[in-house]
Amino acid sequence: MAVPVTVPERPARRVSAWHFVRLKLRVLGNNFRGQTWRVALFVLGVLFGLWFAAVGFFLLAVPGLAGESRYALMIAAFGGGLLTLGWLLLPLVFFGVDETLDPARFALLPLSRRTLVTGLLAAALVSVPALATAITAAGLVVTAGVLGGWAAALVGALGVVLGLLVCLAGARALTSAFAAMLRSRRVRDLAAVLLAVLAALLGPLQLLVLAAVRQTDWDRLDGVARVVGWTPFGAPWTAGVDVAEGRAGAAVVKLLIAVATLGVLLFWWSRSLESAMVGTASSGPARTPRGVAGGAVAQLFPRAVGWARRDRFGALVARECRYWWRDARRRANLITVAVVGVFVPVMVNLGGFSFSTEGGAAFGGADSSPALVSLSMIFVGALAAVTLANQFGFDGSSYAANLIAGVPGRVELRARMAAFSIYVVPMLLVIAVALAVVLGRPEWLGVMGGALFAAYGCGLAINALVSVLGAYSLPESSNPFALNSGAGFTKGLLTLVSMVGSAVVAVPFVVGAALLGDVWLWLALPVGLAYGGGAALLGAYMAGDTLDHRQPELLADVTPRR
Amino acid sequence: MTDQHPALSLRGLAKRFDTKVAVAGVDLAVPTGSFYGLLGPNGAGKTTTLSMAVGLLRPDAGEARVLGYDVWADPVRAKSLLGVMPDGVRLFDRLSGAELLAYHGLLRGMDPAVVDQRAAELLDVLALADAGRTLVVDYSAGMKKKIGLACALLHGPRLLVLDEPFEAVDPVSAALIRDILHRYVGGGGTVIFSSHVMEVVERLCSHVAILAEGRIKRVGTLAEVRGDRSLEDVFVEVVGGRTATGEELSWLSR
Repeated sequence: MAVPVTVPERPARRVSAWHFVRLKLRVLGNNFRGQTWRVALFVLGVLFGLWFAAVGFFLLAVPGLAGESRYALMIAAFGGGLLTLGWLLLPLVFFGVDETLDPARFALLPLSRRTLVTGLLAAALVSVPALATAITAAGLVVTAGVLGGWAAALVGALGVVLGLLVCLAGARALTSAFAAMLRSRRVRDLAAVLLAVLAALLGPLQLLVLAAVRQTDWDRLDGVARVVGWTPFGAPWTAGVDVAEGRAGAAVVKLLIAVATLGVLLFWWSRSLESAMVGTASSGPARTPRGVAGGAVAQLFPRAVGWARRDRFGALVARECRYWWRDARRRANLITVAVVGVFVPVMVNLGGFSFSTEGGAAFGGADSSPALVSLSMIFVGALAAVTLANQFGFDGSSYAANLIAGVPGRVELRARMAAFSIYVVPMLLVIAVALAVVLGRPEWLGVMGGALFAAYGCGLAINALVSVLGAYSLPESSNPFALNSGAGFTKGLLTLVSMVGSAVVAVPFVVGAALLGDVWLWLALPVGLAYGGGAALLGAYMAGDTLDHRQPELLADVTPRR
Repeated sequence: MTDQHPALSLRGLAKRFDTKVAVAGVDLAVPTGSFYGLLGPNGAGKTTTLSMAVGLLRPDAGEARVLGYDVWADPVRAKSLLGVMPDGVRLFDRLSGAELLAYHGLLRGMDPAVVDQRAAELLDVLALADAGRTLVVDYSAGMKKKIGLACALLHGPRLLVLDEPFEAVDPVSAALIRDILHRYVGGGGTVIFSSHVMEVVERLCSHVAILAEGRIKRVGTLAEVRGDRSLEDVFVEVVGGRTATGEELSWLSR
């Protein structure tokens, strides 16, 4: 029985990028409905964005405003290059991507790949970071205009628009490619390593910048800037300056480079988009190792938790341990901590060293000092603990199971701290030892360890409270970098608050390192362990009480709206 | 002492979301040993009511008692008597079935040896043992319902609260779940579950309540509510609805 199915020759109206922009605005608007605090956070985010944009604008416009053409190319190449690099790396490492329009939602609609990609790109333009970048980059247009007249300004504007699109497409392409890799069971460990390497680029980069700043030889820097100007990182941003300096041919080639880059990125993105769209329907063939060892309880407990008693606390620790590894979102966070935790202290201490030998040092002493080392260790400890700032958000609605079983808040928080520490404490130890070796000061190990564990313990305490009071839901997306609209700023704010809080509570350790001298080298570790451990227990005790009073509200906070 | 109380009693439960009243004062007494069906159309407030009854959602007003213990004032006692399978809530699905059961059992303070033994039995009976170490996130919808039921049953609760236990379950699994629930009630347990499938409710339940627009519209034993008509007729009459005249949607037929 053949039912005549008529296929319409073409839809009555073409779907354009404008539809996606309107959809995004509508979703954003609906998110604000009746949620005053969300509006407030959003406004705050916009203000921050405008502030940074204004600062960036003037920095990039300086050569034009001062009529100083010598540094125009340099500033355009380095400024633009940094913007691009920031767009590529920061979403992966810190901020995640705004997934207000989840590509998977479009899987069933008859949209061509081209329509979807251009539409999503256009929608991505409607965000605070994108607008802030646009304002910042407008400084380049001003520079080009003042130095080279209207033609230069026009080419500069074109370049800036292309540059912005390259940033957006690059960020999307990179995060969705990594999302696809982290989802796949076969290559996810490879993805983890790659991610680590990428994040590790941040370290040498800063060393490079520091070295460059110390270079008084501006001509050599100029040479570097010219090279950067021809890479995809600098090409779109420097086109306007080239016209202003009378190199119209170079400008055209640079615009072509930008267009080609954009094309490649969009193609790459559309490829990984498809895998992401299929990915939500099925996460690929399941790995089913046979030969179950032992009973159910024995299976639950990973070897690292073998010491735990087979009771409520033990079960919570075991489950959390499994989750830190099996959940792509959590694993991505762990990797970030590991990488940033290694490179920031290396940077700060080695950077401080090179600064001070130049004589222009702000950091005391002719060498990295116990106080400086303590400070950087406090940063690492606080950073590690801040991963837990939205620990209940990771669970989403599955937290209901703990609520139904009536888990007391204190047990819950203590278990979560213990499970996270199983991964992080060895990591922190390695970091401290590695840094002591790199600095050639093994006798500082105690000071480092003390500051590290004091800050980590204080961080655990503060984040326990933050995670109970400031939880927000994460999208049930297969992309571990995805955030709900507006959650980006919430995340940033909570991160800032809890990091500053942890650091402040751990400040006595810097003071101790600065004032107490050699006695501190021996005292720091035991005092730090006691201080951090005590803080963590006290935090779990107090936050646990709060948790007991708002378990259902917490569940509602972390349950994604659909 | 608990036997003098109804297995579950709700008094004046109410919940409002923003401007929408989801549940407008529900009173319900579920007798011990009954098989209770909570019927209602989509959006009637079934999930909201059951969530408030088991302590997942704080009610604006009213109280819920499990065998006499107030769910909100004495949650520890109440929750130890309860087994719950919520709907639309994820399980800790990055565990395997056995791991999930062990987690739930230990969370309930059970002896590890008992957990092991009961988990193996449940997995076996629910035909989930073959899944081995497959993570629950990779289970089919029906398997997820079954492992959810297993989690609710593991600690031997006196009252089972199940939200849409038969949704997305194939007939074979549904029959299996029905059998298990029958045996559970036969052994002195009490079940309350929500559904909008009349056949299931008519076949299983001793008592029925019809919920619509956040209020209980009909309540009683199955015979009382149904009278001499079919349950579906009563339901449609109570809930109200419209039937298509055939004029609309003419473009559907060619």
